[in-house]
Amino acid sequence: MMHRQLSTIELTIRIAVLIVFFLFFMFPFYWIVATSLKTQVDAFAIPPKWFFDVTFENYIDVLSDTDFLNQAKNSLIASLANALLTLALALPAAYSMSRYKTGGKDLLFWFLSIRMIPPIVGAIPLFVLAAQYRLIDTYVILPVLYIILNMPFAVWMLKSFIDEIPREIDESALIDGCTNLAVIRRMILPLIKPGLVATVVFCFILAWNEFLLANIFTRRVAVTLPVGISKFITEKQILWGYITAAATLATLPPIVFLWFFQRNLIRGLTLGAIR
Amino acid sequence: MATAAAEFLRPSLGKRVSQKRYPLFLVAPAFLTLFLLTIYPFIYMVWISFHKWPILPTLPRDFVGLATYSFIFRDPEFWNSVGVTATYMFLSVGLQLSLGFFLALLVAAPNPVLRWFRLPFIIPVFVSPVVVGLIWKFMLGYDLGIINYLLRSIGLEGVNWLGDQTNALLAVVLVDVWQWTPFTFLILHAGLSSLPSEPYEAAALDGASRFQMLRYITLPMITPVLTVALLFRVLDAFKLFDVIYILTRGGPGNATNLLAYNIWRKGFFENQLGYAAALSVIMIIIATVLALVLIRVMARQDRE
Repeated sequence: MMHRQLSTIELTIRIAVLIVFFLFFMFPFYWIVATSLKTQVDAFAIPPKWFFDVTFENYIDVLSDTDFLNQAKNSLIASLANALLTLALALPAAYSMSRYKTGGKDLLFWFLSIRMIPPIVGAIPLFVLAAQYRLIDTYVILPVLYIILNMPFAVWMLKSFIDEIPREIDESALIDGCTNLAVIRRMILPLIKPGLVATVVFCFILAWNEFLLANIFTRRVAVTLPVGISKFITEKQILWGYITAAATLATLPPIVFLWFFQRNLIRGLTLGAIR
Repeated sequence: MATAAAEFLRPSLGKRVSQKRYPLFLVAPAFLTLFLLTIYPFIYMVWISFHKWPILPTLPRDFVGLATYSFIFRDPEFWNSVGVTATYMFLSVGLQLSLGFFLALLVAAPNPVLRWFRLPFIIPVFVSPVVVGLIWKFMLGYDLGIINYLLRSIGLEGVNWLGDQTNALLAVVLVDVWQWTPFTFLILHAGLSSLPSEPYEAAALDGASRFQMLRYITLPMITPVLTVALLFRVLDAFKLFDVIYILTRGGPGNATNLLAYNIWRKGFFENQLGYAAALSVIMIIIATVLALVLIRVMARQDRE
């Protein structure tokens, strides 16, 4: 696209409009964090208190009175196990599809089509099957199920990273007497390290945030954070103190990751749409 | 090519055969795992949909054949759910595309200040939908929510966001637009950045106005990207569940009873897995049609 220098007036208008949208997208975060730092009384004051005494009561309460830490541990286990599992499966596949064009476009789009399945649709039969094998509410079930969600992203992401490495590198390594596997291990892996990290982080975030399957496939033992937080909406009341503090804490990991891996995570999110 | 070079160095016949299969061996684990986790359960789900299937394994599972399907197609609740889903998808995806395009145009200029806005515009996508639902549930409260406070402070009436049928659906649209406009923004931003500058230079020489350039150059050239963004969003919007679960539980009445939520409710709340399975089969047929269109479009662009 052609870019002219903007006139000062136009630049000012653009920035003003952008600030409005900045507030639209960012204010909700500010509001939930601010509320988490307020006392019960201040949180529901009308007019709202823009300036207030900061208290960490909600955080202390949610950490000491609820199952938060245990659920955070469960989330960590499920997300990390799934991210590594997905990587282990997707990496060889992506390499093969990048270098040998295995399965051609059909296979690539088959992986993409898995992403389009509404998770609730898979949940029905998988629930019946998991119940038969007594896998409900175990530490195994979520990492396995999340493969369905993450594999399409992982394959497309890794393939796009491998595609960027010139084939000559593989070929010269083969001529130098490297075995096929040594080519992947010694040449490709070091070169796509940023891509590997981004893929793991991407899968981790998706699994960390996932609610629908976690809500159906866990009961008490393996409950993850999103499910735990949703349970603060009880029949009688909504425990906003717990919710705001827990939601803030649960949102920190994805935001920190996004900050560090911005470019490559966006590549994953948009799959084939942006190369 | 890599294979040719490798085969040249490995003359024995046995090795050459394994060399040929090597790429397949690499793909097999990923393919088989996904196959087992999707295709097999799908077939099983069709089987379940032919039964009355309570969750408790001790209760009887009666074969009813296609009866559930014919019941669904006569069930006003199902058609309401279809209508609600279509309305929500139309409004939500339409707004996300227009807004994303607008924002992408705004930041498309070589100015460092404009670039600062990119990161904040993409954060919502990476936040758990549960958290997103809760944030908005908090802000949309009728008496104590900040949004109604702001409306009242400029002299308007507070809106009963989640208690009124029409407003609740609009609230769901609002939340979805908030979370996913960043996605359309990203795609269109990348699309705009990759447009060639020659047509614009030629048009400028011919004295074209900026609106004409937008209408006759940018829009036609961005259409393929717009289509991909549209289809991705349509398919994702189709799946929406978490936000409904947190924000409205399908209500008030059935006003926000989207298809995905309806399946969850039938299966895991009302304990009718057979019914939910039949709904799922119908839903996946719709999703497949949409996905085929998307893949067709993407594959065509890939060739160009």
